[in-house]
Amino acid sequence: MAKQILDALAAKFAHAVERTESNFGDEVAWIKRENLVEVAKWLRDEQGFAFPVFCTCIDRLDWKPIGLPPSEHWNESKPRFEIAYQLRSLKNQRIRLKVAVTEADPRVQSLAELWPAFNWQERETFDMYGIRFDGHPDLRRIYLYEEFVGYPLRKDYPKEKRQPLVRRDDLILNPLKKEVR
Amino acid sequence: MATESLKQLVLGRKDVQDLSDTETDLPPDLMTVNMGPSHPAMHGTVRIVLTVDGERIVKSDVQPGYLHRCFEKESEHATYTQVFPYTDRLNYVSPMINNVGWAMAVEKIMGLTPQIPKRVEYIRVIVSEMSRLTDHLTCVGASAMELGAFTAFLYFLKAREWLYELLEVVSGARLTHSYVRVGGVAKDLPEHFHTELTTCLDKIAGVMVEVEVMLNNNKIFRDRMAGVGAMTKEDAIATGCVGPIARACGVDYDVRRDHPYSVYPEVEFDVPLGTHGDCYDRYLVRIEEMKQSIRILRQCLRQIPAGPTMVDDPRVALPPKRDTYNTIESMIRHFKHIMDGIRVPPGEAYTFVEGGNGEVGFFIVADGTGRPYKAYCRSPSFVHLSTSSQLIHNHLIADVVPIFGMINMIGGECDK
Amino acid sequence: MSDTVTLTIDGQQVTVPKGTNVLEAARSLGNDISAFCYHPGLPIVAQCRQCLVSIEKNPKLQPSCQQVCGDGMVVHTKDPQSTLARKQQLEFTLLNHPIDCPICDKAGECTLQKLYFDHDNENSRVDVPKVHKDKVVDVGPHIVLDQERCILCSRCIRTCDEVAGQHQLEFANRGDHEVLTTAPGEQLDNPYSINTVDVCPVGALTAKDFRFTMRAWELEATPSICNGCGTGCNIEIHHKQGRAWRLVPRHNPDVNKYWMCDEGRFTYHALREQRLASALVDGLPSTWDRAVTNAAKRLGVFLKDASQIGVVLSAQHSNEDNFALAQLAKQWGVKQVYLAGRPPVPARADGKLRVADVNPNTSGAKAIAEALGLGVVQAFQIDASAASTLRALVVLGDTFTGLTEGKLREIDLITISAFERGPVAHAKVALPAAAWAENAGTVTNVQGRVQRMHAAFAPPGNAIPAWEAIVRLAHATGVKLAWTHAREVFKDMTAAVPAWKELTWAREARPLALRFAGSRG
Repeated sequence: MAKQILDALAAKFAHAVERTESNFGDEVAWIKRENLVEVAKWLRDEQGFAFPVFCTCIDRLDWKPIGLPPSEHWNESKPRFEIAYQLRSLKNQRIRLKVAVTEADPRVQSLAELWPAFNWQERETFDMYGIRFDGHPDLRRIYLYEEFVGYPLRKDYPKEKRQPLVRRDDLILNPLKKEVR
Repeated sequence: MATESLKQLVLGRKDVQDLSDTETDLPPDLMTVNMGPSHPAMHGTVRIVLTVDGERIVKSDVQPGYLHRCFEKESEHATYTQVFPYTDRLNYVSPMINNVGWAMAVEKIMGLTPQIPKRVEYIRVIVSEMSRLTDHLTCVGASAMELGAFTAFLYFLKAREWLYELLEVVSGARLTHSYVRVGGVAKDLPEHFHTELTTCLDKIAGVMVEVEVMLNNNKIFRDRMAGVGAMTKEDAIATGCVGPIARACGVDYDVRRDHPYSVYPEVEFDVPLGTHGDCYDRYLVRIEEMKQSIRILRQCLRQIPAGPTMVDDPRVALPPKRDTYNTIESMIRHFKHIMDGIRVPPGEAYTFVEGGNGEVGFFIVADGTGRPYKAYCRSPSFVHLSTSSQLIHNHLIADVVPIFGMINMIGGECDK
Repeated sequence: MSDTVTLTIDGQQVTVPKGTNVLEAARSLGNDISAFCYHPGLPIVAQCRQCLVSIEKNPKLQPSCQQVCGDGMVVHTKDPQSTLARKQQLEFTLLNHPIDCPICDKAGECTLQKLYFDHDNENSRVDVPKVHKDKVVDVGPHIVLDQERCILCSRCIRTCDEVAGQHQLEFANRGDHEVLTTAPGEQLDNPYSINTVDVCPVGALTAKDFRFTMRAWELEATPSICNGCGTGCNIEIHHKQGRAWRLVPRHNPDVNKYWMCDEGRFTYHALREQRLASALVDGLPSTWDRAVTNAAKRLGVFLKDASQIGVVLSAQHSNEDNFALAQLAKQWGVKQVYLAGRPPVPARADGKLRVADVNPNTSGAKAIAEALGLGVVQAFQIDASAASTLRALVVLGDTFTGLTEGKLREIDLITISAFERGPVAHAKVALPAAAWAENAGTVTNVQGRVQRMHAAFAPPGNAIPAWEAIVRLAHATGVKLAWTHAREVFKDMTAAVPAWKELTWAREARPLALRFAGSRG
């Protein structure tokens, strides 16, 4: 039954769905970047996937899975980031939409307009991975401070790296400051 | 009579009257007020930049992150077993549920879920429900205190302490239990656990009756809670709310019932629903959930079978100490488990459990080594906090306190 | 006749070059068949019987390391028969293995541990006393042997035979009393002896240098190039918290294959000796700003007539460092540069990996100077007439021996060096630089191959990469060099040197935690 949604998705958006797979009870569909919003809107409005669950990103830079052939390993010719949106339906089905983006152009259309829940989740993904969400109403860092340099959850950010807080004058620290005074 | 004379005294004094505000005296422009990050009424360290028109909030910017502990980055550099202490510190008022969630996520990728012994499942449900009780007791107690009901707070914290003491006997630590393991639990329940928990539940049920009498129809409490911070069902769904907050809005979803895991299908419980979606409904839902938790616990205590507390699979189970010291096979296995970690085959899975605040999920990407390639935590507090800006809109500054109290933002979980 | 064969392994089709063995073919599919005695760089003996697989139409199990792939061959590696055979073989191997993991240097990178954990994971079924053999046998200047741990795979014997060309190890006795020992009248003292430690699948052979110093699984590996000689063996620096603990060879079929020499392995010790961690002005510690300003002031006097300034490139430093200094010299108007390095050791050259030139980058430094149109003079001895005109000298590295100490003290000597020795002791201004292991850059070996080094850890104190120190010096003397990263120096350098046009800068390597590297062995 869960597989049905993938079939329906592939039938409706043959041009947008790159591939589908099922793992551990989750249906995963790889969507082309430019079609993400229409697919998501269709899932929400016509298939009842009304519940947003999470949005995150996977950095494949160090991906060398053991037991899989070297062709599965990440190399410079593959897109580095995968953005994952998990949705849940009224019938408690789950689907994960994945969009692959390259390191040179880490952008994807924001889903914050469709689901307010993704507003903060996309901010978190931006904060940690540096993914730009086009059309996001308020794409700021959320956990870290504005002056932070780099994206800490990327694989090439060393875990031990320390950054002192250096105030930068070019940043408006308080977004409300401008409007209030 | 005393009140009467006091009023006369005050009214009779001219200077007091002069101090009273009138509409015309207030400054006409908006004011920015910082609430937090360190504020006695904010449960965690969260900062809210409020723009107020007098007492009324016209705009707010909620800024989490003051407790960011790099859960994901740390997890990516630790073995799967070493992550348990990190999960303890996510929702630190119900750490057992996080432990269980993490263990289930790893077991799912390893395909171990069907082999988990029944006794382990029951122990996990028992400690989870105890944790849910501590979570709700803290949330309701602290919120009541912030509204002036200090007695309720003391009563509930006393009850919470009984549970913590019991969990300490089970796991060895009062707060950061790290009790669950991949494939089982660290050790079996202690002797006399059944009787002690039964006594404890009886006492808690008594305390709850007392507190309900104090709060449910308390005028101050109701005035501060009812109609405050209301959210519609549609908003709750679109903003991703789960757990008691969504259920208070009428969203009929509970992971324990809708995605049954562990032995929840074998116990009976009801999922309480609210209608108004305001703070008072959230309070009522939490109180009812505690009653249901007690009900689940009593059933579990009746049904729990004897048996092993670890799955019999050399991939995850540590060999007994005696073998470790005496055979090279067990020595190697022990060494590998501790130093290199449990080998989880490549794959990715999202596993979720019903936490104190709703669906706590772990999204793990494994690459076949002993550490997670990625370990994402879907924390309900983070999602709920993201709605808070909308909830406090157009309310008074004083209403921020009950709204935040009933959102039950746990800093460790929200900031990860 | 095609050059490839296609076979089926566990239902998966794979096409491999002719002559590939089944084990390698399976590995290309990600199927890691367990094996002890097989090593891709050594002759195949098929004596551990750990890699048995079933091949259709073949009545007996075959060792996959020895079985050459044939067209249309159907191989099963996960069928019950071969799985059981391999499990039982492991059980035999473990029968007399001592319970040494907690005190064994190999623990954490041990092939025996890895194969047991990945392929067997069964409990012990026997309860008989283990056969005891000799422990702590001193077999050579660098190696200690533990006969009990040995699983008799003969990799070390073959390594001595093949890599060093000397037969120094042998098996003696039979059955479960068979032991590894030195050949009669021999010692394990060839210049490639520590390679036996790398190939040893267990902790039988351990290097005295690394023994009991650091637990292998706590180390992190960063790829680099050996600094010991002009061969430029590809290595991994194994380090922890800013300190290198050992160097191990990294596979490069065109340079060093799987091996490196013992002498090269010990070069990491020098990384902690006589380090210069702060800028010195007249021998006293100083800040960077003061030191660079001071140096620029001294040089400024002579900049009008650049023939009074001598510039010494270093064969010990990376291409980027040398390019930065050569570029600066050119901007100053210097016509010829000197090239300093350690003097050659002809006795080293053995036609294998060791060469006489004990500098890692002689050819690189030369190529750069030539590409920039600067004359190059080997600076083992600067002749008196040239020396007499020198008023100031900018020296990269610590190996410059071209002038007498008296002369060095007389002139304005500015050094950029990682170590406080050689000419640095006489320098008016000494600038601290990163040593090779702390530096991201490239070096050029005797074959002319440009190879990439990665920075394993941060340099001590105020030391910075030498090219960066040169940029600061350049700015102080009014020359604009606009590099902010070694990558940018590299880009300009490859544009300037014709032979290197095609080269690209690889992404920085991140230290690999050995405990999570899927255990090596």
